[in-house]
Amino acid sequence: MTEKPIQGEKRVFMTGNEVVAWAALAADAEIMYGYPITPQNEIMHYWTRLAPKHGRRFLQTEDEISAGFTTVGGVLAGRRAFTATAGPGNTLMQEALSMAEMMRIPIVQVVTQRGGPSTATVIYSQQEVTMTCFGGNGEGARIVYSTSTHQELYDYTIKAFNTAWKYRFPTHVLGDGYQSKMRESLTMYDPQARGIDMVPTEPSLGNEGTPGVDREPNHLRNTYNTEDELYDVVTNIMSDWEKYAPEIAEYQEYDVEDADVLVIAHGVVTRAAQAAVKELRAQGKKVGHFRPVTLRPIAEEQLRKRVEQAKSVLVVESAYGQLRKILDNAIYGLTTPITNFFKPGEGVTADEVVEEVNKLL
Amino acid sequence: MAKGVKLALAGEGGQGVQSVAMIITEAAYEDGREALYIPNFGVEQRGGVSVAYVQISDEPIGSPKFKTADIVIALSDRAVRRTKRYVDKNTTFVYDSGIEGVEDDLPTHAAKVLGIPAIKVAKEELHPRVFNIIIMGAVIGATGVVDLDRAKQAIEKKLGYKFEKDPKLRDLNFKAMERGIELVKKEL
Repeated sequence: MTEKPIQGEKRVFMTGNEVVAWAALAADAEIMYGYPITPQNEIMHYWTRLAPKHGRRFLQTEDEISAGFTTVGGVLAGRRAFTATAGPGNTLMQEALSMAEMMRIPIVQVVTQRGGPSTATVIYSQQEVTMTCFGGNGEGARIVYSTSTHQELYDYTIKAFNTAWKYRFPTHVLGDGYQSKMRESLTMYDPQARGIDMVPTEPSLGNEGTPGVDREPNHLRNTYNTEDELYDVVTNIMSDWEKYAPEIAEYQEYDVEDADVLVIAHGVVTRAAQAAVKELRAQGKKVGHFRPVTLRPIAEEQLRKRVEQAKSVLVVESAYGQLRKILDNAIYGLTTPITNFFKPGEGVTADEVVEEVNKLL
Repeated sequence: MAKGVKLALAGEGGQGVQSVAMIITEAAYEDGREALYIPNFGVEQRGGVSVAYVQISDEPIGSPKFKTADIVIALSDRAVRRTKRYVDKNTTFVYDSGIEGVEDDLPTHAAKVLGIPAIKVAKEELHPRVFNIIIMGAVIGATGVVDLDRAKQAIEKKLGYKFEKDPKLRDLNFKAMERGIELVKKEL
């Protein structure tokens, strides 16, 4: 092993894409597979610049279908592997991601959301929520962290590798074009120096010895002959999913205790929501903010508690109801009125949130 | 500066608005302040107006883009038209007085509208290459977001390797920045 990429702690000012590349290095990621797409490109660029200096590797594939499957292959070979993509690239990767769900392959995917549908914009949106959480022909046994600052991009990229290898579900860091391209400050650190040990990786293929003689055969399947075989497999996956969901789910709360109006937002939009709550509280208005950090699994119990306490809920997102659908599913049966503030493909400012909240007070 | 400042800088590709934004935010970061800079970017690779959104504050910064800016700096006719939308009654709007045909496009509801002859000064007094440093001076003069010494250090960090080869360039850049500050202060 070469020298650690980051010794101790280091304060830096850089773009989000650069942050992801550094975080993957710090997390001992061994290889990245990828195909260029805006606004993700510089994750690859920085990785290819940094990786050779630290004995890490990179493979540019012919498209995102291949990038997804080579990442799966790298993980099966026991490598701490990852990929990054956006928009139409994320669409193409869904087949590999379903395979990872089915076979419990702990791949890590970083998504820098851009506008959709189709090519749309290369800039920004929160329109890859549904696809990242539930894309592919499966049940959505995936872990999705929605980040809002460069510090979180760093923290959760490192964490994603550990969550993936601990629970063996595909794990996603959901950023966006704004986070990719903007510069702000953060503290980078050596995870070990903060007591974060990287969960060890292990190969699923190519183990020592003859299967059936020296060791149990490692039976890897994503094809089943009968309905009942598949039923058993998927039921087991989902039973694990439900067992672990409560310990995986993360959320943050701001002034929720006595809030009449509860603002719910995720990702970069939480920044506007937090600023709005601060401003409204300064005016003595009872407004709080609930922010799911994991969109999948969602922190259902806490979310229900806060929604039930509030007189009114405002859902804010840069998509047309993708977060709202996840929330609705979690809070089914509650009667608190909900208002939408949807801006598909466009950013949200604190002033706008203040204005929308004031309509509800 | 006690509270935060929001700044939109716009010009033609090549006028250097992105590097000005970069140097200013780095200077603010080095000063221990919160800084956020995001360029506009789209599918076009060439042409189009280039906009830089900058926020500097003593507190953590909210959303990366904003509706209206405290200071808007527009360096071409198209940039003037494009950035009018970022102006409200509290905005100081700075444009280059050498831009022709924008008389009717200048915002009428801004707190202040300042025309400064940056292009002319760059061409006649200094060197066209330091035009963006004059603009950086204008930003500093209008906002006080970073002090002059810190801004000079940031330029030194960025261009130091060029100054090593030709120390005259250092003087030229520092002069450009001081002139930029003067130009805007005269109008304020």
